[in-house]
Amino acid sequence: MGLSPPRREVVRADLEQVFRTAYPRVVAVAARVLGSRDEAEDVAQEVFLAFGRSTVPAGEAPAWLSVAAAHTALNHIRSGRRRASREGNADGGDAVCPDVADAVVTRDERRLVRAALARLPRRQAVALVLRHSGLSYTEVAAALDISPGSVGTTVRRAESALRKELNRHASSE
Amino acid sequence: MRHPNDGTLRRLLDEPAGVADADRKHVAGCPVCLSELAAAQEDAAVAGAALGTDFAVDVDVDAGWRRLSSAVDDADRREATAVPVRRRRLGLRSPVVAAIGAVALLTGAGAAAAADWLQIFRAERIAPVTAPRAELAKIPDLSAFGSLEVSERPDLRKVADAGAAEQATGLSVPRVGRLPRGVTGEPAYHVVGQVSATFTLSAEKVARTAAAAGETVPPPPKGLDGSRFRFVAGPGIAAVWSQGRPLPALIVARATAPAVYASGVPFETARDYLLSLRVVPADVASQLRGFSGAGLTLPLFTSAQGSARSADLGGVPATVLASRDGTMAGVVWVKDGVVTAVAGSLSADEVLAVARGLRGDR
Repeated sequence: MGLSPPRREVVRADLEQVFRTAYPRVVAVAARVLGSRDEAEDVAQEVFLAFGRSTVPAGEAPAWLSVAAAHTALNHIRSGRRRASREGNADGGDAVCPDVADAVVTRDERRLVRAALARLPRRQAVALVLRHSGLSYTEVAAALDISPGSVGTTVRRAESALRKELNRHASSE
Repeated sequence: MRHPNDGTLRRLLDEPAGVADADRKHVAGCPVCLSELAAAQEDAAVAGAALGTDFAVDVDVDAGWRRLSSAVDDADRREATAVPVRRRRLGLRSPVVAAIGAVALLTGAGAAAAADWLQIFRAERIAPVTAPRAELAKIPDLSAFGSLEVSERPDLRKVADAGAAEQATGLSVPRVGRLPRGVTGEPAYHVVGQVSATFTLSAEKVARTAAAAGETVPPPPKGLDGSRFRFVAGPGIAAVWSQGRPLPALIVARATAPAVYASGVPFETARDYLLSLRVVPADVASQLRGFSGAGLTLPLFTSAQGSARSADLGGVPATVLASRDGTMAGVVWVKDGVVTAVAGSLSADEVLAVARGLRGDR
């Protein structure tokens, strides 16, 4: 109480410049987690709003934004609220899906992947998502504040755990 | 030669150039490693397919920017009407700045002696609450839960010397036994009077904040709506060796530890209720809950991207913070109701050495 974290009062001056450079990547990172462009764009908006009020140095912005996108998207999975609303929309929005059966299958796969990601240790999940979003080992290391040497180990464990989770669900359904 | 670890094998798939020649040569001729490599490749392919997007992420940057601009404008408008006082201006640029900011926050405030105010909190120790910056940035501030009125504002001013600082604040000025290498000369002394603020909790604002975060609100405990909390801290002193740099070479600061007084429900009731709304990131909330009980620990919010660790200063527990790049560090502790901090463009070892060598304990 009384100790809410430091925040800036005004929106930072370089917001538009950073947004225009980094928005596609932030959406891409969130999309890996959520499997939906609409949801990923929602997450990106949330992330840039937070960034706009932060004092993160411009040089650290790309790493900060990528990590924030991954965390925020993973939080969205956990809360489940977005998923429910989006899936509700998808049910009523068959016009965008020429083949309803395919859409249902895809949606179920997405659900499994999101559930599996949500069960991974957070650091592993973030490393996995960042790596598969095209960040280099050095960039992932900087973003997570770990050594480049341990990025491979973290990603390897995450991939192995993700595969096990997906297999477990595939066999139980 | 020993087999390279699984992380090295994984990197070999993505960035072979990042793997040492000797490791690459070993793997090429080692059936055990080749088998591991194949397994890693399979898992990576499965993960790649699972995380693939079946749409091209060719986003419309202009549309995204228009949406963000309008959201920023909306937020500004809401704040202009809803926030009675401006927020504290603290930067999260580095954990050290956060530490200095926290100490600055602690300075100020009047003695809350009114009979209806019950003292429920007096910081006796400081513990870091660490989370990724993105998580910290998501924590709503107090204006999301009620209204905050600052009754005594910080009035930082420079004074001539240590004697004047002591006279102005009643605190003893800590003297540095031996300055770290590269720090020379006499410091400038600054003092700040007491600061106090009163926060009035509004059940309606709490409900609105929770709803905005997509959470449902449990019924508030009896008496919570309209209950008041008064924060009091300071006065404080800072000795600053700036040496013409934008970031001071060394700061030694001391302030009367903050206290919270409640009128209405107990502080813990309000805190537990707010944490139960899940508008605070889960890992931060669990760290805060860990402080429950006596309510004597002051949480110091720091980014997980720096480092925070504990240290012992002659029997007094202290928190050491260092920026990731190692260019700044600070140490902060509480003793006998007084917070002291040593920070600067120094290493963690250097600030600890200064802290251990301080004379003039209160």
